[in-house]
Amino acid sequence: MLRNALRKDLLLNARHLWGILPWFVWVAYAMSEPDAGRMMAVGAGFIGSLMATTIAAREDKLRTSATLASLPVSRRILVQARYVVAYVVGTATYLVVAAMAAVLPWSVQDSAELFEVKTVLLTVTLASMAIALLMPVVLRFGLLGVLVFLGAFQVVGVVLFVALEFFGMRSGARLFFGTIERGVVALYSGLGQAGPIVETAVIVGVSVWLSFRLSVVLAERRDL
Amino acid sequence: MTPEYALELRGVRKTYRGFALKDVTFTLPRGHIGGLIGPNGSGKTTIIKLIMNLIRREAGEIRVFGLDNRKAEVEVKSRIGFVYDVPGFWDDQSLDSQRRALGAFYPRWSDETFHRLAREFALPLDKKYKALSHGAKTKFALAMALSHGADLLIMDEPTAGLDPVFRRELLKRLSALLQDEGKSILFSTHITSDLERVADVITFIRGGEIVFSLTRDELLDGWAVVRGDEQVIRELDPGLLKGLRHRAFGVEALVSDGDAARRVVGSRAVVDRITLDEVMVLMAGENRHAA
Repeated sequence: MLRNALRKDLLLNARHLWGILPWFVWVAYAMSEPDAGRMMAVGAGFIGSLMATTIAAREDKLRTSATLASLPVSRRILVQARYVVAYVVGTATYLVVAAMAAVLPWSVQDSAELFEVKTVLLTVTLASMAIALLMPVVLRFGLLGVLVFLGAFQVVGVVLFVALEFFGMRSGARLFFGTIERGVVALYSGLGQAGPIVETAVIVGVSVWLSFRLSVVLAERRDL
Repeated sequence: MTPEYALELRGVRKTYRGFALKDVTFTLPRGHIGGLIGPNGSGKTTIIKLIMNLIRREAGEIRVFGLDNRKAEVEVKSRIGFVYDVPGFWDDQSLDSQRRALGAFYPRWSDETFHRLAREFALPLDKKYKALSHGAKTKFALAMALSHGADLLIMDEPTAGLDPVFRRELLKRLSALLQDEGKSILFSTHITSDLERVADVITFIRGGEIVFSLTRDELLDGWAVVRGDEQVIRELDPGLLKGLRHRAFGVEALVSDGDAARRVVGSRAVVDRITLDEVMVLMAGENRHAA
C-alpha cells in the first residue's frame, strides 16, 4: 500500500515539483563560482524536500484530500508516503546538482566533494528538520497552514528587522545572524567526527519520529 | 454468516457549531437501493462523510457489511464505490493518469471495466480533468467508483449537474447493478423523481434527525395527502399528521396512514396518493407540523 501511495504522489503531483526548476537555473549559473557546489547541493536537497512537503497543501487546494481519504488505505500510510516522498525528492534534487557539477562545461566544481559524508549529512540534517517542522502543519491545516507558517516567519522577520534596525540593535542583528551562520558551520565541521554524527543522528531521528507521530494523529483526527 | 445489512447506522452523533446530527439510526438491507432525502443543510452529506470516515463520529456505530467502518476501514473502503458531491481530482492531470494512480489501491480494480465505462460515458481519457464539464467530471467519478467491483455504492448527489438523458441512463445502470450483481446503493439527492424511479428504501432527514426510513411502497402506498378545510383536518389523529400546509383553497396535510385518514374524513376531503416531492415540501416547508 505504501508503494501505491508513493506512486500516486509522484504520478499526480509531479507538476508541483517543477516549481524547483528556477533553483536549478540559479545552480547552473553558480557552477562557475568556486566553492559554490556544496552550498548549491545542500540548498537543493533542502528545497526539494521542502517542496515535496507541501504536496498535501496542493491536494488540499484541489479538494482531493477527501478523495484520498476515501481510498482503501489508512491515513497513516498516506502520511508515511508523504515523508518518504519528501526524502526521495530531496535526494533526487541533490543528485541533479551533483550531475550538473560534473557535466556542465563551465562548472568549476569538484563533484566528488558533493559526496563527502559531511556535506551529505548536513543536507540530511537540514532537510529533515524542515520536514519535521513543516509536515504536521501542512497535513493538519493544508494550504492555509503553509501560508500561516510562512506568514508567521515573515512577521517574525519584520519584527526582528524593526527591532534591530530602529532601536539601535544593529549589533544584535549581527549577533543573531552570526549565530545561525556559526551554528551551521559548527554543525558542518562536527559532522566529520563520530561523536557529533551520532548526536545529530539521534536528534534528527527523534525529531522526525515525533513529527511523524504527530502528523499521523493530526491526519487521523482531521475532518474532511 | 453473511450480514443482513449492507449498511447499519445506530445512534450516530456529530456536532458542529450550529448544527448537530442526533442519534441517526437507519439500515440498508443488502441488494437494495437506499435514497437519502432532506432539505439543504439537513445532514445528508454529513451522514455520507461519517460512513466514509471522512469525519469522526462522536457516538454511535456504523457497520458496512457487518464491519465497523473505523476498525476495518481499509477493507470497508475497498468494498465501497464513492462519488462525492463535488468530485475532487487532480485538475492538471489526465483522466488516464488518475486511473493509473488511484486504481492501484483497489484489489479488485478492473481496467477493462473502466475503459468500457469511459467509452460509454464518452470520457476523453487523455484530457486534463480541469478541461471537463461538470457533468463529465461526475461521469469520471462514477466510472472510477464502478470499476473496482464495489459491493456498496455511496453517492452524494450523483445526478446533480447531469443532463436528463444521462440521469435516466445512470439510474437504469444502478438498477441493473442491483439485479445482475446484487450490489447495494445509497445515494442522496434533491431530485425526488430519481428516487421514485429506483429507490427501495427512502430515508428522510431534517435538522440532523431521521424523520423516517421506510420502503418506497410503505411510503408511497401508505402515506397520503389530505386536502380539505382546516376543520376537517383537525379531526385527524395528530399522531398521523406529518406535515401541514395552508393553501388558498384550504389545508394540505401529510398523513402516515392514508386508509385511516379516509375513514375519518370520508367524502369531506380529498385523500390523494403522495409523491416524494410533496413529502419533501410538506415536511420541510415553513408550515411543517411536528412529525
